[in-house]
Amino acid sequence: MLSTIKLNTATELPVVEESRPADVQPDERGESARWPEWQKTLFRIAFVFFIAMSIPNSAEWYTALFNFEWTRLHYRDVYDIARFGSGLDIFGRTLFGSPLNGYATWIITFFAATVVGLIWTGIDRLRKPQPANYNQLYYWLRVVVRYRAGIGIIGFGFTKLLPTQMPYPSLGLLNTNFGDFTLQKIYWLSVGIVPWYQVFAGVVELAAGILLFFRGTTTLGAILLLGALGDIVYVNFAYDGGVHVYSSYFVLLAAFLLIKDTPKLWNLIVLERFTAPNNIYPFFSKTGKYIRYALKFGVFGLFLVHLFYLQYVNFKYDPYKQPSTAGVKTLRGNYNVTEFKINNQTIPYSPTDTLRWQWATFENWTTLTFKVNKPQPLDLSNGGGAPMRDIGRTFELTGTAGGQRVYHYLADTIAHTLYLRDKYAKGGARDGVGQEQKPQPSRAEKSKEARGEGDRADKNWISKAALARIGDENKMIDPIAYSARRDKEFAAKPRRDKRNRMILNYTTQDGSRVILSGINENKDSIYVVLDRVKRPYVLAKSTLNAGKYD
Amino acid sequence: MSSAAIYEAQVRSGGAVASAPGEWKPFEKVLFRIAFIYFVIQCVPLDWKFYRQVFQINWLNLTYGDIFELSRYQLRFFSGPDTWANWAVILLIAIVGGIVWGNRDKDKKEYNQLYYWLRVIVRYRLAAGLIAYGFIKFFPLQAPPPSLSNLNTAYGDFSAWKLFALSLGVVPDYQSFLGLVELAGGLLLLHRRTTTLATLIIIPFTGNVFISNLAYEGGEYIYSFYLIVLALFLFAFDANRLNNLLTLGKPTFPNRFKPVFTQNNIKQARIAFKGAFVLFFVVIYGYKSYAGYHNYSYQYPTKPGLAQAAGLYNVEQFVLNGDTLAYSPLDPVRWKDVVFENWATLSIRSSPPAVIDSANVEHIDFDDARRNYEQAGSGGRHYYSYEHDPASKTLKLTNKVDASDRLTLHYSRPDSTTILLSGVGKSNDSLYVALKKINKKYLFQEVQKVGRRGEFKL
Repeated sequence: MLSTIKLNTATELPVVEESRPADVQPDERGESARWPEWQKTLFRIAFVFFIAMSIPNSAEWYTALFNFEWTRLHYRDVYDIARFGSGLDIFGRTLFGSPLNGYATWIITFFAATVVGLIWTGIDRLRKPQPANYNQLYYWLRVVVRYRAGIGIIGFGFTKLLPTQMPYPSLGLLNTNFGDFTLQKIYWLSVGIVPWYQVFAGVVELAAGILLFFRGTTTLGAILLLGALGDIVYVNFAYDGGVHVYSSYFVLLAAFLLIKDTPKLWNLIVLERFTAPNNIYPFFSKTGKYIRYALKFGVFGLFLVHLFYLQYVNFKYDPYKQPSTAGVKTLRGNYNVTEFKINNQTIPYSPTDTLRWQWATFENWTTLTFKVNKPQPLDLSNGGGAPMRDIGRTFELTGTAGGQRVYHYLADTIAHTLYLRDKYAKGGARDGVGQEQKPQPSRAEKSKEARGEGDRADKNWISKAALARIGDENKMIDPIAYSARRDKEFAAKPRRDKRNRMILNYTTQDGSRVILSGINENKDSIYVVLDRVKRPYVLAKSTLNAGKYD
Repeated sequence: MSSAAIYEAQVRSGGAVASAPGEWKPFEKVLFRIAFIYFVIQCVPLDWKFYRQVFQINWLNLTYGDIFELSRYQLRFFSGPDTWANWAVILLIAIVGGIVWGNRDKDKKEYNQLYYWLRVIVRYRLAAGLIAYGFIKFFPLQAPPPSLSNLNTAYGDFSAWKLFALSLGVVPDYQSFLGLVELAGGLLLLHRRTTTLATLIIIPFTGNVFISNLAYEGGEYIYSFYLIVLALFLFAFDANRLNNLLTLGKPTFPNRFKPVFTQNNIKQARIAFKGAFVLFFVVIYGYKSYAGYHNYSYQYPTKPGLAQAAGLYNVEQFVLNGDTLAYSPLDPVRWKDVVFENWATLSIRSSPPAVIDSANVEHIDFDDARRNYEQAGSGGRHYYSYEHDPASKTLKLTNKVDASDRLTLHYSRPDSTTILLSGVGKSNDSLYVALKKINKKYLFQEVQKVGRRGEFKL
């Protein structure tokens, strides 16, 4: 395959130069070349394998494509087009009963590709004349892989370029001890605290993706992709991040794209020999050219221009990992729990008490957190996914211990009442651990869910009058960020997860002292006096803030 | 001339040659003269302070810290923290020197020979820099696992740089991997023909280190940028060729210049130098840092603490000058909790803001008093080192940041989970403190035992 000329000693030079002038078109040389038999067989297997690995494998992906309201897209719609499962999973996702850490699908696909490739080899044997090479097909296979990898990594890149993937920690997280996080949380927070670094990582991923869209810069893009995602694979294993399969997917695609040029690089740089490229490009008819331009233009328009706009809107008004609704303004901040009564009995502060609140925060958005020294079940997913409702946006809760309780509230600001629900849902959807690992709900649970019976008492806990005063949560964000996806989720019957609930009245002048009273999650009456504390942090404030809360 | 070089015959090539040795363009010569002086000054230790450092080393009892510190040589004209001004002065010297040199060297057609040797100097300088950091990551010394005090400090009470270090410290395997990448880059530089491959590893890796230093406000952004500049200089040699072959898709000639050593003593000198470099920076340094990982890691103090006391303690009782103070999260005096480390450090969480040790530059010290990793970049807790006298059961505490803050405390241990302290604190206050050990479980450690899928209670 390599057109190389040894140039190591002076005696070889004249021969070389006379016999092969440098202006010979590489295309002409490569086109007629005959591939050895083993190379053709390997190619057939690789072709089937990488095509199977590059196209979406679920029917939902295709139906979703036709069901979008293209005029009112949400950033996640386009992101989901870019992020799909692939590979053969019709034989299941386990091999000998083991998911092999999520890689079983790859191996199954490879086995299937080998079988198909060998059958194809058999058919080719019967053909006359046999194809000398697969240069054209190789070109198109690389096109498919290039675009798959490019589109996929751009989907990721934008959530970093406009930093929403790893949010700056909320007050509740800032107040949590370092030893009370999971490894996964530690890593994500460590990127979240430096939004400009996240922007940089986004630039790298985006650059890799864009470079893959042009054949001349493919190698450079693939090197960048391999380096960046190779590190992310290791990060996912080290920190138990849960997306090692999807990140190694990009490494696999990048490695494939590098196969073509690596021997040439080696030849030129390490062996220091004359090297000629053997790029074979297809010839396009006029119509072919237009189709090519149209496709390229479409991909650029959707995944670079429009996705950028959608992600910008998301960052600005609806950052998907943190709640989008602004919290009650006077309440925000860190609070010392000065007084705490439960069923009219005062409990003095003690770090070891298992009932009393120790410290509370009202975030910029609709979240109240407080600390109680009592073990509780934890959500150890990564708080990802794309919930439209604030109650499902759990990043401030997931992977975090230390007795911290996190409640989402709906505020009736006229009657001064907070309707609070625990962000932790018993047996709730754990979106983060990766779609592969998401446990399927049992049939009984499914039908129960469909009937809305998960938590019967949940139904009418907010009166109609209060609901009217609170308003429509769907419309509480900036109108620019309205989307069909949001409408759809708010219109759907909400999941009836088992959640703790509280109804608390609040009284305050300016927020420096807040008195909460009402019924807590155990139906006990509580009375809590909160005094705002100016708590300085060593960690510098974020200079790039997602969301709109003022 | 000490060595001769073979230039392969210049070939008529139809413009496809990226760069072949021949006559250089005038601007190339001007640039080269400046670059030569600039990089020689930046890479060859010309500073007397470097040699003072060399002579201060106890060569009979060499430590990995000594080699590490030597590897970080950079010429400094200005004292205090590193600044770009040092670079500006070097650049000025290089420009002036380049002009003078150019006036005296008008007939020179090319600097292939000199370019080769400049690359040798830069290659070895860069290799030393990478290997030095590579080994202390490969044997995860640079970012050790968080101390108990660190684990019991609120996330927001750390500086960004400290959080970066702690986040790396919890995953030693990943740190080793990063070290391995750095080592691979460094070792590939020792061979002429793998130099460009090395730069393809080094530029993204060190680029990331540089950006991290900026983003997390680390103290080594200038030094890491220095390494990037060296790597970019080395990469420039083949950059045109790569662009020609890969992007433009044209046939490309390789580098044509190779030194050929004809004299035996030159050959031997080359082998001797290379051997010495590998022996010093790879064999000895590698072995010493490996031993260091097992016996004398450098971030935390080594002096052992009170036996079987390590842990987190609740302050059950706190009596100051005879007054018992109740629990309060905001009390400016009362302690909230106390950590005894495995080594002779005790840290107290209390409300008055702690003075923050903002060191963020890597230093390998073998003197406990100068090891500041545990308190660097951390608020929320006050760190004390202590002298322990088992005979009189006394702890003499000295604040690690503010040396005027001292306490002398007598201790008793009625049972395995209780420590009673009494004595005199700051401004001669009398103090009585009852500490009760908390069976604290740390989430990331617990999860490692059972995995993070499914329900988990803590």
